[in-house]
Amino acid sequence: MAGCRRLSGAALREVLGPAQGLLFDCDGVLWAGERAVPGAPELLERLRRSGKAALFVSNNSRRSVAELERRFSRLGFRGVRAEQVFSSALCSALFLRQRLLGGGGSGSGAGRVFVLGGEGLRGEVRDAGLRLAGEGEPLPGAAEPVRAVLVGYDDQFTFAKLAQACGYLRDPQCLLVATDPDPWHPLSDGQRTPGTGSLTAAVETASGRKALVVGKPNTYMFDCIVERFGVDPSRTLMVGDRLETDILFGKNCGLSTILTLTGVSRLEEAQAYMASDSPAAKDLVPNYYVDSIADLIPGLDE
Amino acid sequence: MGAARRGARGWGAAAMAAMAGGGPRRCRRLEGEAARAVLAAADTLLFDCDGVLWRGEAAVGGAAAALGRLAAAGKRLCYVTNNSSRTRVAYTEKLRRLGFPPAEPRHVFGSAYCAARYLRQALPPGAAAYVLGSPALAAELEAAGVPHLGPGPAALPGPAPADWAQAPLDPAVRAVLVAFDEHFSYAKLCQALRYLLRDGPDCLLVGTNRDNRLPLEGGTAIPGTGCLVKAVETAAQREAFIVGKPNRFMFDCVASEFDIDPARTIMVGDRLDTDILMGNSCGLTTLLTLTGVSTLDEVQGHQQSSCPSRHSLVPDYYVDSIADLLPALGDP
Repeated sequence: MAGCRRLSGAALREVLGPAQGLLFDCDGVLWAGERAVPGAPELLERLRRSGKAALFVSNNSRRSVAELERRFSRLGFRGVRAEQVFSSALCSALFLRQRLLGGGGSGSGAGRVFVLGGEGLRGEVRDAGLRLAGEGEPLPGAAEPVRAVLVGYDDQFTFAKLAQACGYLRDPQCLLVATDPDPWHPLSDGQRTPGTGSLTAAVETASGRKALVVGKPNTYMFDCIVERFGVDPSRTLMVGDRLETDILFGKNCGLSTILTLTGVSRLEEAQAYMASDSPAAKDLVPNYYVDSIADLIPGLDE
Repeated sequence: MGAARRGARGWGAAAMAAMAGGGPRRCRRLEGEAARAVLAAADTLLFDCDGVLWRGEAAVGGAAAALGRLAAAGKRLCYVTNNSSRTRVAYTEKLRRLGFPPAEPRHVFGSAYCAARYLRQALPPGAAAYVLGSPALAAELEAAGVPHLGPGPAALPGPAPADWAQAPLDPAVRAVLVAFDEHFSYAKLCQALRYLLRDGPDCLLVGTNRDNRLPLEGGTAIPGTGCLVKAVETAAQREAFIVGKPNRFMFDCVASEFDIDPARTIMVGDRLDTDILMGNSCGLTTLLTLTGVSTLDEVQGHQQSSCPSRHSLVPDYYVDSIADLLPALGDP
């Protein structure tokens, strides 16, 4: 079982030295709200100079990859390119493209996607070549059934949209997909806002179906990363702030994991999982922890 | 997913099952002499409404006639419904409109009324409830003297979640009540979560029922209150206290109003996991009607299950429709 050890000193150099790359969650790791975590931009810069890859894997389905790229820049992280960023919005669109368009199929006959989410998510689905329910002209002559309901972060969620989703899901061929399982997200003042997980629970309960969840801790986002970059799990570290998503994701993908304490999970929670008798709890224990990712800087060459 | 995520059922399904006790129930078709005997032995019948007496605005054929004969035979008829979107008075009007025997509000036990009673006893004096629910629920809370806020569309202090998180919270709120709410929205879910986080365990989380679907006329259905309860429970990572069936709280409300002998009471319903489970747990005779949600295949699945708690979802009897009781009720 992972040991949840503070990563510092000699151990830090031993762990970071052989690593070819690091996967970072974003919220609570690189930034909190509109503030970068102090030292985080410098860490990414030092990783680049050390020749180590940095990739970003986020369950946040609000923003398109293009918006995220701008956000990185605005918060002081230089040189992060869109292709390094894997959001649950992007990966959900890729998943749906795979399932609805298959190997090289065209748009016609693939049906439409009913998206519960904002413009960032809708844009990624469109960019993947899929048509959204309620948008655009119907293709001439073709019946266009809704072939998937995609539940994401939707701050405009309503009872009417829930009922509409259930209508589409009466067709057993219609997929139910969720961008991520997160029940809530922290706000900068310490409050919480409901996450996709709470909306997915409503849709699952109404439809009697279980959603296919794209985001962490499920491994589909890692499959997307491997397809684009071919990473070696044994030489890659996962850095995140949420035990139930980031750390479990790392475990599921065969990565060593580092918990950073600038976000959601507390060290006491990790220790409680470590002390638990439940076999499932053990998978939530990180290999290492740091107070902030800035603590990783001394592990890299000058 | 998260180790903190809870299972579904609210108040102890296993505990309910343990109370249900008795020998294995056989779900026999109720007809002929058995029907006459069972009905003769009962003083009181409790009826679920949706899927039993009506679907939407369409009465089940023969149901009104059957209840008319039961009333004429001197049986006490009560209505026990998880539907939280109407007041007791509105239910008596619907019963009259669809030709059922006259009923007074005191015979109607809806989950809105029972939730109001629950909060009146559970809230500290002066405390209020933040409510996801309908004007009918607000009316029941008003009648019960429970201060409340929230029903209807959200009054938003701005377009974005960041604005909603700054809206002032009422200092008197000590409970969040989740009921059927056609104005349910992300903004209201946000507010509910804020109250629950502000006071932690000092803020009650109460749901009227867990029904996931509300059947309407023509075989259609809309999402039920259970979906909204699940959304709040997931965001708050805690389990709600559910007032409605199968919890026995609603039966306790009936028993506090009338002198009920469980051994001489029949619960008639269309859902195994609410009506039948509650009836069995309270020691009533249970009768499933097939005009609603549950099917005989589901009954068989529970009967054949090796899991003992599932046996408490098996009714004593079933009919295709409560109109099938007419022959046993003869000519008055």
